[in-house]
Amino acid sequence: MKRFEELFAPHMNAAYNLARWLTGNDSAAHDVVQESAYRALKFIDSFVDGNAKAWFLTIVRNESYNWLKVSAGNRWVAIGDEIPADDLALGHGQTPELHAMHAEDAALVQQALQALAPVFREVIVLKELEGMPYKDIARVVDIPLGTVMSRLARARTMLKLELLKLHSHE
Amino acid sequence: MNDMNCTVCHELIHGYLDNELDTAMATQVAEHLAACADCQRLHDEARMLIAGVKAHAPYYPAPDALTQGVMSKTKSRAPSARRFWDLLRDAPQQWLMPAFSAAALAIALALYVATPSSEQPWMDEAVSSHVRSLMADHLNDIASSDRHTVKPWFTGKLDFSPPVFDYSVQGFPLLGGRLDYLQHQNAAALSYGRAKHIINLFILPTSAADKPREHLAIRGYNIVAWQRDHMRFIVVSDLEKSELEAFSQLVEKGPI
Repeated sequence: MKRFEELFAPHMNAAYNLARWLTGNDSAAHDVVQESAYRALKFIDSFVDGNAKAWFLTIVRNESYNWLKVSAGNRWVAIGDEIPADDLALGHGQTPELHAMHAEDAALVQQALQALAPVFREVIVLKELEGMPYKDIARVVDIPLGTVMSRLARARTMLKLELLKLHSHE
Repeated sequence: MNDMNCTVCHELIHGYLDNELDTAMATQVAEHLAACADCQRLHDEARMLIAGVKAHAPYYPAPDALTQGVMSKTKSRAPSARRFWDLLRDAPQQWLMPAFSAAALAIALALYVATPSSEQPWMDEAVSSHVRSLMADHLNDIASSDRHTVKPWFTGKLDFSPPVFDYSVQGFPLLGGRLDYLQHQNAAALSYGRAKHIINLFILPTSAADKPREHLAIRGYNIVAWQRDHMRFIVVSDLEKSELEAFSQLVEKGPI
């Protein structure tokens, strides 16, 4: 399938990166990407035109969540976005200042990001690591364009708190 | 100065940093930041955080083997025959040369990668298929513990007759069967249970000579493979090696 290769080969890294961040392990990411590619091929006729990356990542995201559900034996409840509002307020009040060094430590950044719920982790990965615009993020994570900014705002605030928490434990 | 309040600004900071606000809104945010030290601090922190994540969060690129595997597999899995002929028809000039070099590269790679065992692709695919059968909730096309239901189900779907037996008495109940593909060949996949574990047994014809049982571990799964009477058997499970060996002996010996 020449068309398939043209469309999706350039996005294999993005696919693997997203799957790896969502599932948290290499062998699952491997299987998720393989299955996603198979699905993409199967439904390639329904991809008319537009953004192949967003289209492919949408499939990868769904497959990753399927994997998460199966591996957690359906006890995964944190997939939804149900963080109480006052959690967020914490991030704004009298928190210690975030020094540059917190975000400079690769291991800490990795650990903090992995600690976020998938719905927050994924927007950070798509924005910061893939550099996707809001409209593409909205498609991939299946939320209205208008909520991408607030989702990212919450994700970044929680990531900051996570980094502060990890740092204070050191 | 404008009348933007801080709560609204806390969120808009992110659109501002991501260049996702329209000009009017961006101007309002900039004006508010100039006047509000708290918001300015949050803005600086967010900018620092974004820069830190971009620079330091690991990026996981796809392993080369995965990309090559996916691309070669999708080539052979063209969804319909028509597409395949279409491809062939407009192929010759621009397609054959790259295809030829791709094939040459693939052969070179295969020789390089697969030197330890030419069976590796079979095993890899059996493991992927095993994982997929558990993930996609597609373990069985025909779910039955009765071999007299499962075996006839394959008739007409395969050009060979796989041996189907139930090993409930020995603690490996037959769960069912499905059609599968390994290395582009039809295979019978039988599933067996062992406590909470699932075993997939793949059976397909081969022209190769008989070969004794061989143990392997791929991606955390245990595999036992052998060839007998022109049939290839591959057993995959997350079951312990010794238990899988016991199961494989049962299958190879046939029912008592």
